[in-house]
Amino acid sequence: MSGAQSDVRGSAAAPAVRPGTLFARLRRWVKGFSALNILLGVISLGSIACIWEFAGPLGIPMVKEVPPPSEVLASARDLVVSTQYWKGWLLSFQRIGIGFAIAQLIGIPLGLAMAINRTSFNSIFPIVEILRPIPPVAWIPISIVFWPTREQSVVFIVFLGAFWIVLLNTIGGASNIDRVYKRAALSLGSNSWDLFWKIILPATLPSIVTGMAVGMGISWEMVVASEMIAGDTGLGYLLWQSFQNNALAQVIVLMFSIGFAGYFSSALIRTLGRFATPWRQLK
Amino acid sequence: MASEPTITKAEKQHGKTPAVIRLWRLARSPAFYQGLLGVAVFFLLWYVLVDLIGLWRFSGLPKLVGGIEEWLSPDPVFGVSIFTAEYYRHIVASLFRVFSAFFAATILGVAIGILMGWRRVFFGLTFPILEVLRPIPILAWIPLAIILLPGRELPIIGLTFLAAFFVTILNTLLGVQAIDKVYFRAAQSLGFTEWQTLWHVIVPGALPYIFVGLQIAMGACWFSLVAAEILSGSAGLGYKVWETYYYVQFPTMVSTMATLGFFGYISSALVRIAGHRLMRWRANVLAGV
Amino acid sequence: MQGALSIKNAGKIYDPGGSHVVALDGISLEIVAGEFCVIVGPSGCGKTTLLNAIAGFDQLTAGEIWLDGELMASPGKRLKPGPDRMVVFQHGALFPWKKVLWNVTCGPLKQGRLTQAEANEKAREFLARVGLHGIEDQYPEALSGGQKRRVEIVRALMNDPKVLLLDEPFRALDALTKSVVQEHLLELFDFEPETIFFITHDLEEAIFLADRAVVMTTRPGTIKKIVDVDIPRPRDLKVLTSSRFLALKAELGAAIHEEAKMAFESGERELA
Repeated sequence: MSGAQSDVRGSAAAPAVRPGTLFARLRRWVKGFSALNILLGVISLGSIACIWEFAGPLGIPMVKEVPPPSEVLASARDLVVSTQYWKGWLLSFQRIGIGFAIAQLIGIPLGLAMAINRTSFNSIFPIVEILRPIPPVAWIPISIVFWPTREQSVVFIVFLGAFWIVLLNTIGGASNIDRVYKRAALSLGSNSWDLFWKIILPATLPSIVTGMAVGMGISWEMVVASEMIAGDTGLGYLLWQSFQNNALAQVIVLMFSIGFAGYFSSALIRTLGRFATPWRQLK
Repeated sequence: MASEPTITKAEKQHGKTPAVIRLWRLARSPAFYQGLLGVAVFFLLWYVLVDLIGLWRFSGLPKLVGGIEEWLSPDPVFGVSIFTAEYYRHIVASLFRVFSAFFAATILGVAIGILMGWRRVFFGLTFPILEVLRPIPILAWIPLAIILLPGRELPIIGLTFLAAFFVTILNTLLGVQAIDKVYFRAAQSLGFTEWQTLWHVIVPGALPYIFVGLQIAMGACWFSLVAAEILSGSAGLGYKVWETYYYVQFPTMVSTMATLGFFGYISSALVRIAGHRLMRWRANVLAGV
Repeated sequence: MQGALSIKNAGKIYDPGGSHVVALDGISLEIVAGEFCVIVGPSGCGKTTLLNAIAGFDQLTAGEIWLDGELMASPGKRLKPGPDRMVVFQHGALFPWKKVLWNVTCGPLKQGRLTQAEANEKAREFLARVGLHGIEDQYPEALSGGQKRRVEIVRALMNDPKVLLLDEPFRALDALTKSVVQEHLLELFDFEPETIFFITHDLEEAIFLADRAVVMTTRPGTIKKIVDVDIPRPRDLKVLTSSRFLALKAELGAAIHEEAKMAFESGERELA
């Protein structure tokens, strides 16, 4: 039927492979890809690449306007050796790093406070729900007007995008902690401080990590948006510039570069998150 | 917590609370007034920091009072208020784009997502290209959208569509995969055919996740719409926000942003309500939320 | 009458090349048509594996399963699940997004065996017999645990199965609800006897319900002891304190307790 994974039967009697070891996890990840999936993946990507490459001579209507893979790869080769390209990476990452970090630094404590303290939740949540639907991109003009430097205005938009996500995920995670855990802790004589650090915070961590991974993806959208609209450096800006200069192959290279950067940073967060929540390793 | 509200006869019968009772309870809860206070503090801060004092950079920001006045004025200085046609022109332009993109993305996205969860081969063929394209930020597609799609409207709608499309596929797929396997076994034991399993197990079973995804997709639609309108539009709320910045029409900026927020919220709420209607069996679960 | 189940030398090994877990080993059992057969054993002893093999969710690695003189499953022959061996699942599998009436009638309707009107009537009759009136229009979430279990049993019976397979169906119920639902099940069985293959870890439940009780050993799963429960039907709760019942309980209790201790010590978790 559907893509059902095989159960790991009899695992109770099997000798336990330490789940945390990198090698063991890598092996399990590879095993997850059945031969069929790999074959289908190769077929699908391969045929798409071929159709794309030969769209021009074949006369396929829309696709032929797009530079074929060969051109894209050539452009990639050029870009990879240009300092501007890598400076773009650095700058974009920098903005994401700062904006994202500030969003976590403000959002996580605020979210925890709102989840624990009912009054703070009741007072703050309505205004959050009023401001949140306004797309962060619409805040760009306000950001430009308010912040002295362009850099700061871009970082602010990144912050805004990630902030809503981390706030909501933290509140959600902290609110959903099974009451049983808190009661067990209190029965065992823990005080409020312990309760927070040893029960509430760790129990919220999985939601926080999810919020971070999603927020990272949103951050990339925001940084690209602000760089394209109001920036003068960075990958987003480079992409827009390439477009203005009609360097379409370059545009595509940059599209995939940014995509890869976003994917890579989200995966990084998820991996770090797994280290922070080791108890979730076992199935 | 406040004392538990009494359960009315209507609730016991239908599991639903009449709106009047809900409003009455709301007005009696401390939460309501705390919320009111929070909102009031926000607007007060805005007024004090921007309108009154003009502290530091806040002086450059759009004023609260000026913004509201302009919004509600029959003869606005910059030509846009609830009494002018232009205001509604922008609203309609944006709404049209969002809803056409959203519906197209929902129909295609849910169909493809379900197909991916149902048929292994289809999944194997589509998943790789999906995973390659999905991480690319939506706005990075703007150049391609402008080149490939004719006219002015289609690139914007196309971009908005793309944003919702990926999110919907992913959440639909997750929804199908999240269905407890035991339901499939029950269907097998009952002798369902593949199609019957699809209609009676997979589609209803995935609905919760699908609707979560649709709400996210709606938010993604508005995000891409605004950005796309800024970069290449000539009408619409997103474009208008940029115009008010460019031509220094700050009071109008406030009303435009507020309008954006309003319609964004309404559209998400509509999706949520549609979800509640379609998933009536979860009434017990939802009542507790 | 149909429903003669014959299990010959059934074996199941999980992951033969790797961890090589022997779940079932040489199980042979002849179940007569119309017999209420209960398999009892500790968690992880493989009884669910055996049920899954009969149901068709799992494949044997050795041995054969015959139903009414026809070979259904063997290592070379894949058995598909079907309404002739309808299952009542442990944690419940009523479709939560369909009303009770739909859940109960969907089997015969989809198979084209009954019309809507016939199915509705039969459903109401069955539901009434287990003490459920007027709940057809509700969603499963609105029902209590005991009600859900009864609906699921009715759903199974509506399909006229040759063998009714019950996978620890009353495990999640509290003791009081359990005894009520057990009585309802016995009533159904008395009214229309069919072959029932019931697995549980609860010895009292096993003796109370069964015509024959089969004790299974913990991994590897084999048959340790089979006992004929010769308590006359119809049975009610008074049976639980009768001398025959207590004698059977003593006889089987020792055997089961031994297996339970072994399972406990080796930290068995449940398969499947």
